[in-house]
Amino acid sequence: MVNNKKGSHRGDSSHLIVDSCQSYPIKITSVSTLACATFSESSTTTSKALQALTSAALVLPGLLLTPAHASDADRINFQFSRYQEGKRDLFGVPNNLKPITADVLHGSGIFSLTDRTKFNFSYTQDTWSGATPITISPLAANGNRPILGNTATGITTVGASPIINNSQVLLDRDLNPLRQDSQNHQLMNKDPRSVMVLSSASPETRNQANFGLSREWNEAALNVSGGFSRERDYKSNFGNVSGRLDFNQKLTSVKFGSGYTSSNISAILDHDASPYITKTAFSRQIESRGGSEILQGNRHDWTGNLGLTQVLTKNALLEANIGYTHSNGYMENPYKVMTVIFVDPAVLNNNQTTPITGDMRALLEQRPNVRNQVAINTKYIQYVSAFDAALHLGYRLSTDDWGINTHTFDANWVQPIGSGWTLTPRIRYYSQDAAGFYNPYLFSQQTYRRNEVDSLGRQIWIDAKNPNIQYVRDSSFNLIDQNGNLVNEALLNVQPKTASFDAGKLPGNFSSDHRLAGFGALSGGVTLNKMIMKGVALEAGFEYYTRASSMQLGSGGRNGFADFDYYVANAALKLDLESTNLSMPGRNLSQHQDSPTHHQHKAPPAGIMFGHMLDKPGDFMVGYRFMHSWTNGNMMHGAHKVNDQTIVDQGCDTTLCRFTPTYMNMRMHMLDIMYAPAKWWNIMLMPTFMDMDMNLRTLAGRPAPVPGVHEHQGIAGHETGAVGDTMISSLVKLIDIPGHRVHMSLGLSAPTGKVDLQLRRLFQIDGGLIHFGMQLGSGTWDFMPNLTYAGEYNRWSWGAQVNGIKRMENQNKSGYRLGDVFQATTWGGYDLTRWLTASVRGAYTVQGAIHRDFNSFNARIGPMDFPANYGGQFWDIGLGLNAIIPGGRFAGNRFSFEWVQPVRNDFNGFQLERKGALSATWSYRF
Amino acid sequence: MRIRKIITGIFMLTLSIGLSGCVSVAAWERGNLAKPQMALDPHPLQSTVRMHNYGSREAAASTHSAEGGGGCGCY
Amino acid sequence: MIKHQVIFLTGSIVFALLAIFSTSSLMAAQQMSKPSPDCAFTTLDGVPIQSLHAFQGEVVYVDFWASWCPPCVKSFPFLNQLEHEFKAQGLRVIGVNLDEKKADAQEFLDKNPVEFDIVADQTKQCAKDFEVIAMPSSYLIDRQGNIRYVHQGFRQGETDKLRLMVEQFLTEKP
Repeated sequence: MVNNKKGSHRGDSSHLIVDSCQSYPIKITSVSTLACATFSESSTTTSKALQALTSAALVLPGLLLTPAHASDADRINFQFSRYQEGKRDLFGVPNNLKPITADVLHGSGIFSLTDRTKFNFSYTQDTWSGATPITISPLAANGNRPILGNTATGITTVGASPIINNSQVLLDRDLNPLRQDSQNHQLMNKDPRSVMVLSSASPETRNQANFGLSREWNEAALNVSGGFSRERDYKSNFGNVSGRLDFNQKLTSVKFGSGYTSSNISAILDHDASPYITKTAFSRQIESRGGSEILQGNRHDWTGNLGLTQVLTKNALLEANIGYTHSNGYMENPYKVMTVIFVDPAVLNNNQTTPITGDMRALLEQRPNVRNQVAINTKYIQYVSAFDAALHLGYRLSTDDWGINTHTFDANWVQPIGSGWTLTPRIRYYSQDAAGFYNPYLFSQQTYRRNEVDSLGRQIWIDAKNPNIQYVRDSSFNLIDQNGNLVNEALLNVQPKTASFDAGKLPGNFSSDHRLAGFGALSGGVTLNKMIMKGVALEAGFEYYTRASSMQLGSGGRNGFADFDYYVANAALKLDLESTNLSMPGRNLSQHQDSPTHHQHKAPPAGIMFGHMLDKPGDFMVGYRFMHSWTNGNMMHGAHKVNDQTIVDQGCDTTLCRFTPTYMNMRMHMLDIMYAPAKWWNIMLMPTFMDMDMNLRTLAGRPAPVPGVHEHQGIAGHETGAVGDTMISSLVKLIDIPGHRVHMSLGLSAPTGKVDLQLRRLFQIDGGLIHFGMQLGSGTWDFMPNLTYAGEYNRWSWGAQVNGIKRMENQNKSGYRLGDVFQATTWGGYDLTRWLTASVRGAYTVQGAIHRDFNSFNARIGPMDFPANYGGQFWDIGLGLNAIIPGGRFAGNRFSFEWVQPVRNDFNGFQLERKGALSATWSYRF
Repeated sequence: MRIRKIITGIFMLTLSIGLSGCVSVAAWERGNLAKPQMALDPHPLQSTVRMHNYGSREAAASTHSAEGGGGCGCY
Repeated sequence: MIKHQVIFLTGSIVFALLAIFSTSSLMAAQQMSKPSPDCAFTTLDGVPIQSLHAFQGEVVYVDFWASWCPPCVKSFPFLNQLEHEFKAQGLRVIGVNLDEKKADAQEFLDKNPVEFDIVADQTKQCAKDFEVIAMPSSYLIDRQGNIRYVHQGFRQGETDKLRLMVEQFLTEKP
């Protein structure tokens, strides 16, 4: 919908793509013809530019592991957190790039296997997207260019373009950048300011899992744990051992630990940026595959620490810790480049006073291969009896051989305020020194590339087909070889022989990553904790953080352009399994242990939602549900396989299709919280979190690419992931007689999942909204009625359910609405043992096609971009297993699994085959 | 400079261990120390989130400290 | 450099294991025979009642507890069971509360009523005489008034041993 029109705004305001740039970036073949090169007009990028959030994190996940809190009761926690940064300062350049946001989902648990042994696990999933800096350059070099476009309301900014090469940076003789007035091109004063050059990215997801075992003796403990972190371009595995020894009646505890992390980086370099980045230093680590360039690296980290906790008085204690980390391997961030401005020394020293031009280039950053860090941490905790509160004061010092010394001061005040509420305000100040090799940008007094000359000063030419033979030109400009013979130039592909810059003249290590600069940061936050009933607590936290170069301890204030702020908000549900299970002292234990299997009815298969109700008023149920569905294989039309040519011709409405999906996987995480206010009535809340990934391929027989029209490039696909829609439901018992139950539920789905996710802009072409199937929710309020019947007799159980989804609005924020759904399903189950049930289920589902269409640009590259290709009729079979823990420590926990196998699909339009779905649920009543 | 800091740290640690002999808090006097607000980390879920955020924006080393100590001193 | 790390890691693991095995020899439960101190018990409100020696002739299970101590709380169902089962045979379970604030103990007992006797030791002299160094601490005193078994801490798996000891002291002939 929006294209840059070359030269159409000539003479307009300063917000132009530079006139002499070509519309479509072309790999630099000859330096002289292009005055500048833009690598993308990006508003959102297909990742690669910056994600690898573990490499974005300068601290690896394995090093941050908090070991099992062995002294805690058994528990299960769920937490959701949202991180949102503010916009970076681009000094007036219009910028509508979205700042970084991250949605984090976390679940963890601690379980006692025996009296003295505990098992702990945790799972974390982060999904990040947004614009981050790739480099820093002089403001006067105009690194961030806005892109204008024609919209209904006139000319508006639709994106920003990062420019990392510019052979026309104006400098004065002291190498200060000069500002040029864009209207009349008149030179103005020197402008020493720097700016971060931003590029943005589509969502990317990282998954991390940790497991651990811990053993408690009377005066000692030992923990062993390990885990891994995975994202598209960063894989990390880690393990550690730690322990504690108590002395002096446990008044003194000595703690020790050590760990190891091994990581592998496989970074797909930004497809648009890569041609403009000088990567010669890493050429041995870069491989080309499928149209993309991949930088490989490995990294190893070793860590050890020793600590002490000492009780000082009956109201105070002190903790001190010292830790050492040794890292080696690939330590760089593969998506960050260093801006080097090459200045020709001959021009600089020619005794004139006119401004000179510098050649601004981007080089992949280089960091030392080794890093040794030492950190000392102290904490003092004081009980304040007047308020029944505790004051926590902490100070940490860290230092390393990169020159980064940091200081952290923090203070928390933990204040219980009655009725199970606890309020904890907190404040933190942090300061770090810059790494020795940090620089916003560099000057180098040499040319980036120069034409080589021979000993007589004649320019050397080579044949591109046979570069080893050198030629020169005679006075009549004819080509002659080394022996003076004339050569027929028409038979050769002759080019000037060029020599690249001498890397030895640059510092061995350099980086403009603002996280290695010197700065200070101040943050303040508050945590609120509420005990809802015995063993269930809700916790909510909020923090605001601001990073300012002027706040650095000591000197500071030289990288204010890199300042930013963020806020984090999170909410958690914490279940204390022991409290909820614990009967009052004095009650008969054995009676309680029988009840879980006695009064709980058999549960329906995992794929059924809203399938059972709680019977006792005041009962609570918490559950977690995970669904993973796969689509891949053949493209189908209706119920039949279809070939590429048919898809090209018919799959895309009035245009021709160019791409088709190869796979699409969808994962849904849901938290079920159910409460029974009365015997006949339950209410349920289900927040959800979705993530999806897919990839595409070119269709055989597709029309040729057209300039100005979006294409899918490279080998990587797309990912989305964030909060999905939230469901609220009210369940009412209709019939409840021995052996048969019928209930009805009226549910509402609130459109908390985004439906306006976009693809990055590529080659000056808008990416537009991402395909219907990759949006995270329906975007509309939906009514979800259902009617369920369940019966049981001895070891047999059976049931049936009809349910539907009726969209209650005509269109969502992006202009369309999903089709309505109707489903009828029936199942039968048989108890294999007292605690294990097997089930078989059949389901028929019909879903309508999408109504209306996107109301803003979508690239329409394949059948998944068209509303008619959604919905259909589906016949599935489900095979499931339900288990309940009958007694003992974990009585009452239920698990169920179900595999749903599609038997027959009758798709609307052209869709990818459905291969099946797996559901797994855990629930616990109390 | 770095060496000096490390030595100071070790000195503080040994001093603390030495001090431990002077402290006497009876087993029944540990009621306040056992309160949840006096735990070394009263909000572990929050700490995990915050450490991850700080780690991705700052270059400080992490001290991954083992858990334990303080509290009610129960067996 | 790798060699350094490997040595460091194995060294720390070995140190850890050695340290743990050496300290775990510390007994959390001991058999012995020594005369029990005489304790002046009071009710929670401070009214003096029978002292410990007055219970001679019965097997006494003295359990020092406090409301803020989680393992103490976990031991209560077991103590209730002992009271049920063995009261007729001459077992007396006495829970000596060591809360510094009486209100905390009272609040706890209101929410969790128990069947055995609860007394307080306001001056903490009893705890000092018994050399209480851990919470909870249980002392089994035989019919002659000698401390025969000391148990520190409480975990669910330790109840069998305690019950065995109680039965032994109830049935042994002087």
